[in-house]
Amino acid sequence: MIPSLGNFTLWLSLFFAVFQFFSSRKNKNIKYISLAVIFLFFSSLISFFLLIYSHVISDFSVINVVQNSHTTKPLLYKIAGVWGNHEGSMLLWMLVLTLVNYFIFKLLNKKNSSFILKTLEIQAFIIIGFLLFTIFTSNPFLRVFPAQLEGLGFNPILQDPALAIHPPLLYIGYVGFSAAFSMSVATLILNNKKNIFWYNYMKPFVIGAWTFLTIGIALGSVWAYYELGWGGWWFWDPVENASFMPWLIGTALLHSLIIVEKRKSLQAWVLLLAILAFLLSVIGTFLVRSGILTSVHTFALDPSRGIYILIFTALLGGYSLILFGVKSRKFFDNNYFSSFSKEGSILINNIFMTVVCATVFLGTIYPLLVEAFTNNKISVGEPYYNSTVIPIMIPAIIVMGIGPILSWGKEDKLKILKKIIPSVLITLIMTIAIFLFYKSYSILGFAGIILSFWIISNNVLNIIRKNKAYSMSMFIAHLGVGLLILGITGSSVWQDEKIVKMKVKNEIKIKNYNIIFDQIVEIKGINYIAVRGNFLVRDDEKKIITKLKPENRFYPITNIFTSEASIHSNLFRDLYIVLGEGNMANGWVVRIYYNPLVIWIWIGSLLIFLGGIVSLNTNLKKLLKW
Amino acid sequence: MVKQILIIPSIFFLIIVSIFFYLLIIDRNPSEIPSNLINKTIPFFETESLFKNKKFISSEEFGNEIVLVNFFATWCKPCRDEHGYIKKFQSKEKLRIIGINYKDDPEKANAWLKDLGNPYSDVPLDKNGRIAIDWGVYGIPETFVISSDGIIKYRHVGPITKKIYKKINLLIATLKLKK
Amino acid sequence: MINKIFVTLVSFLFFFNLLNISYAVEPNEIMKNKDHEIRARNISKNVRCMICQNQSIDESNAPLAKDLRVLIRNEIKKGKSDDEIYFFLTERYGDFILLKPPLKLNTLALWFLPFVFLVVGVLILFFYNKKYRKV
Repeated sequence: MIPSLGNFTLWLSLFFAVFQFFSSRKNKNIKYISLAVIFLFFSSLISFFLLIYSHVISDFSVINVVQNSHTTKPLLYKIAGVWGNHEGSMLLWMLVLTLVNYFIFKLLNKKNSSFILKTLEIQAFIIIGFLLFTIFTSNPFLRVFPAQLEGLGFNPILQDPALAIHPPLLYIGYVGFSAAFSMSVATLILNNKKNIFWYNYMKPFVIGAWTFLTIGIALGSVWAYYELGWGGWWFWDPVENASFMPWLIGTALLHSLIIVEKRKSLQAWVLLLAILAFLLSVIGTFLVRSGILTSVHTFALDPSRGIYILIFTALLGGYSLILFGVKSRKFFDNNYFSSFSKEGSILINNIFMTVVCATVFLGTIYPLLVEAFTNNKISVGEPYYNSTVIPIMIPAIIVMGIGPILSWGKEDKLKILKKIIPSVLITLIMTIAIFLFYKSYSILGFAGIILSFWIISNNVLNIIRKNKAYSMSMFIAHLGVGLLILGITGSSVWQDEKIVKMKVKNEIKIKNYNIIFDQIVEIKGINYIAVRGNFLVRDDEKKIITKLKPENRFYPITNIFTSEASIHSNLFRDLYIVLGEGNMANGWVVRIYYNPLVIWIWIGSLLIFLGGIVSLNTNLKKLLKW
Repeated sequence: MVKQILIIPSIFFLIIVSIFFYLLIIDRNPSEIPSNLINKTIPFFETESLFKNKKFISSEEFGNEIVLVNFFATWCKPCRDEHGYIKKFQSKEKLRIIGINYKDDPEKANAWLKDLGNPYSDVPLDKNGRIAIDWGVYGIPETFVISSDGIIKYRHVGPITKKIYKKINLLIATLKLKK
Repeated sequence: MINKIFVTLVSFLFFFNLLNISYAVEPNEIMKNKDHEIRARNISKNVRCMICQNQSIDESNAPLAKDLRVLIRNEIKKGKSDDEIYFFLTERYGDFILLKPPLKLNTLALWFLPFVFLVVGVLILFFYNKKYRKV
């Protein structure tokens, strides 16, 4: 009964979405529209909860539950498992889409009604598209009779808190950009005849989407680092790239919205970015779910689904981009910028973000292009992106150091020089200090450290000075970026690794630590048995600073082996141990990693997120006042 | 001039979408890699044979007629699943099949073939996997079609299915015609 | 005593595990010559594990990955250069096995377009710059 009710609510949502589409387009009756918006949200909320309910009670007459759940799964992961699969994740996608829809509606007032109604019309179209996709190709409420006795969904690797919350945060990001898309298309269609400040309405949505996309991506990386067993956290996998591209365009969009706000300039460019951000989210969805390429992240591969999403993407993108081609001329202005100004530096940032995005896009789809035109398959992996993206990012980051403190309009070069002298000094001092400590020199390390301390010192000084002329949220977020670069540089350039065979009571030295293999024990977990190695870590003063306990687990019910790394983190480095194969007689393979500065990647990401939240708060207040 | 530039994003987008369409419509396996040895002579190898006392020397065994080469192992479940088709190639289509035993125990291979039936005219042993590497094998079972002049014409990765069985038979028919 | 049996049993089970766990390079693969080992690691990092999803053979514990790691080290011992080793691998597995796409006719666009994008971007910057507009 419940699953049928769930299916019914999907159709109900479709009905309300169509209703919203026609009321915003034709009769423009606010009462009808508000009914449509609110019922649409609640209907999609109920679908979502009904699916969760089916998973929680382990209703194995529902195919989605059979494929993705298991009676022994802890409650938290039964729930998280709902959005960990393709069909269930579409319900989450719909929920966020209808929530964003509601927030757009809340902006409606007499003055902006034509603009907001047009936006709601386009948003309704998007919702209809995804609902049709869900109902006809990815319906989570499909049944199987007779009901199965047990489910198949038990991958312990996926039962992790970071992984549980990673999709919802990402979706707030991807779907949040839909509001910017709809507003951009609405503005282009209406030619902004009523002179609406569409960019003021767009900004909070962009900040919200971008902020959550940032933390969503960061959580995915955190999980990879702790779970996958060799300290990697970014692999340029096509699906990771699919999240990185909207983030890059979102960053450009975020910054250029500031210019549009203050100077009314670059409107056409921002309208294009707003279209591209969401379009890239949708193309990303297509790449992941269509079966066109394989990746660790791809959901069950099904070309018929792919064709549907592609048609929808083609309609959405084709229409919006052709509209842009035809209508955007009216939004051009004749303002030009001096390079040494805030506008100039933001424009530089935009150019670099877009170039990196284009490069990542090229790398991601290039294998598909080669396959389509020749009969060959090539692969584009990490080395390609390292060679192209990093050199392009470097000038962008340099500009990020001074850009924020430049004034609008031309800046006196001498004044700028005076402003930056303290941070230049700090940068030099910290760079020398780090190199004395790690004693290993590399060009990339050099570049990374200089850049990160350049950003860190500029922003810390501004925070300390309580520089009221600029927004605190910007300093926090930029500081976060500086720390992020510090962490990335440290962990990439100065990583040390020891791979050895150790018998119990053997010792090994890594950097200034002594690692002693104390003993091997058996562990019985809730649903697994494991072999655990107890390792003592001593520093050069012979003090035991920690015990590391990597495990190799076996889950009997599903025949899965996992390896759990043991990590000790502090501000300077992570010590990371993985237990390999072995036995009492010959000893065990032990891998020890010394990963410097890793924690700053996570702290930096968190600060970027906090900066975004503060900015979101500020911008929402501005909007409400208005 | 500006008008033309502004329409570029949409053209670019539509071209890419068309390419995606093409890739979705055609019959392709996104995870299968095409062999780099197609239309090249088979890599030479010399190794023990499971059944015969003398060594298996590839230059002597190929180049006379159309041959199928099937990389298999007893520990590989899909190999067991497809074995029926391999036997069918031999019994129905009267094809000569060489079964290269990959990283396996010869005694186990013997027992396996006794148990399931032996369609192979010979079973060279690839104990350390080096022959497989020379053939560009990455996921057994893999099946190759070798023309009568010792050229690799086709490679399939994974177990033989009904569709692939038909495809290989069609290919062999065309090869026979060309002669 | 029971502990020992248990531990032996579980580690025995692990020996046959071919699943997700990445152990990668094993102690007995490591070459005695440090420079050779560094070369081996660098080459391995550029070689794709053909049966994994987006991993190099340096990171993967798949049997084929191990075989290729050992093969690469043997070729280095034989005195082969990096290029010769890459050629050996691409002869058998095609260009797909390289994570860094080689510069060929079919990858010209891949390697040059980012530079083109950058140049176009910088040109746009000049286009928008006050000083140059005045001229």
